[in-house]
Amino acid sequence: MLKVAAGDRRAFAWLFDRYHASVARFAFRFVGDRERAEELTQDIFVKLYRNAKAYQPTARFKTFLFRVATNHCLNEVRRGEYRVAHTSMETPEGDEAGAVEMAGPDGDRPDQALAGRELERVVGEALRDLSARERAAFTMCRFEGMAYRDIAEVLEASESAVKSLIHRATLAVARRIEELQAGAVPARSRA
Amino acid sequence: MSCHFEEDLTAYVDEELPAARRAQVEAHLGTCAGCRATEGLLRHAVARLAELPDFAPSADTRRAVLARLDALPVPWWERLKAWWRPAVLVPSAGLAAAVGLALVVGGPAREALPEELEDATEMELVANLELVEDYELVGLDDADDLEVVASLHELEVAQ
Repeated sequence: MLKVAAGDRRAFAWLFDRYHASVARFAFRFVGDRERAEELTQDIFVKLYRNAKAYQPTARFKTFLFRVATNHCLNEVRRGEYRVAHTSMETPEGDEAGAVEMAGPDGDRPDQALAGRELERVVGEALRDLSARERAAFTMCRFEGMAYRDIAEVLEASESAVKSLIHRATLAVARRIEELQAGAVPARSRA
Repeated sequence: MSCHFEEDLTAYVDEELPAARRAQVEAHLGTCAGCRATEGLLRHAVARLAELPDFAPSADTRRAVLARLDALPVPWWERLKAWWRPAVLVPSAGLAAAVGLALVVGGPAREALPEELEDATEMELVANLELVEDYELVGLDDADDLEVVASLHELEVAQ
């Protein structure tokens, strides 16, 4: 990162290759839209490059990166430039194009693929209903495997606050998944 | 849920509780059916989340980011810094020294120098600014580079 601060493009390219999938995944779960997630990923890395001099070597790089990513996504949501839709997590009937970008083990059997899409849909709906900070904390915890301590550092919050954010979010998602399994969530239930 | 242990159940599932609190929650789970049910619900959800397909960004993202970096304006201090690189400074200083030496050795006595020659070194540098820029363009890694610089404008004309 210090090399990036000195304008080293190759160092930046290395960081991009190593971390862009994580940032894209985070942005996707945060906004629920593939195209917007890619735009946000671009914005975040350009911002990272421009603000590389602000990086303190005492901080873990991933924490620094996710602080940039989280702040950018939170600001975007606050500015209301787009809604947190999660609509593109849904794949229209008969349209398999949406599944192309989603690399997963459920592509082999149609029933598994359908179950995967339904799971994707209810998780997306649950995330949409969370507060932005709950969604950010949940995403870093569940999809990036980050420790509560690191999430607290990213969100500039106490570990206790992060524990509450993650608990509320996980419980909300768990209840949606439970409803899906019980058959209480009709397919295409979104208004 | 009204049980005051409920708030700690996700952290318990995530193994994020301190050992003492973990032991308290474990003991509580043995006596509270409601918390056991919630713990089961949370564990099941965490396991199901691992089944979600991964999101893979398109390959164009990298190209787009690098193109955006190329389009960023170069700050003035970066442009200024470029002039202080050895590839520019060394030839400039050498040229200035050579001109200065020539004036001292071969020129008239210093007290006899007319006023307009006081800045002769600078004048020489300005007159050869293009040459200095050529050094900057080509770089000076070995003796061949000097030859390339000397022939640069002939090459340009030939093109």
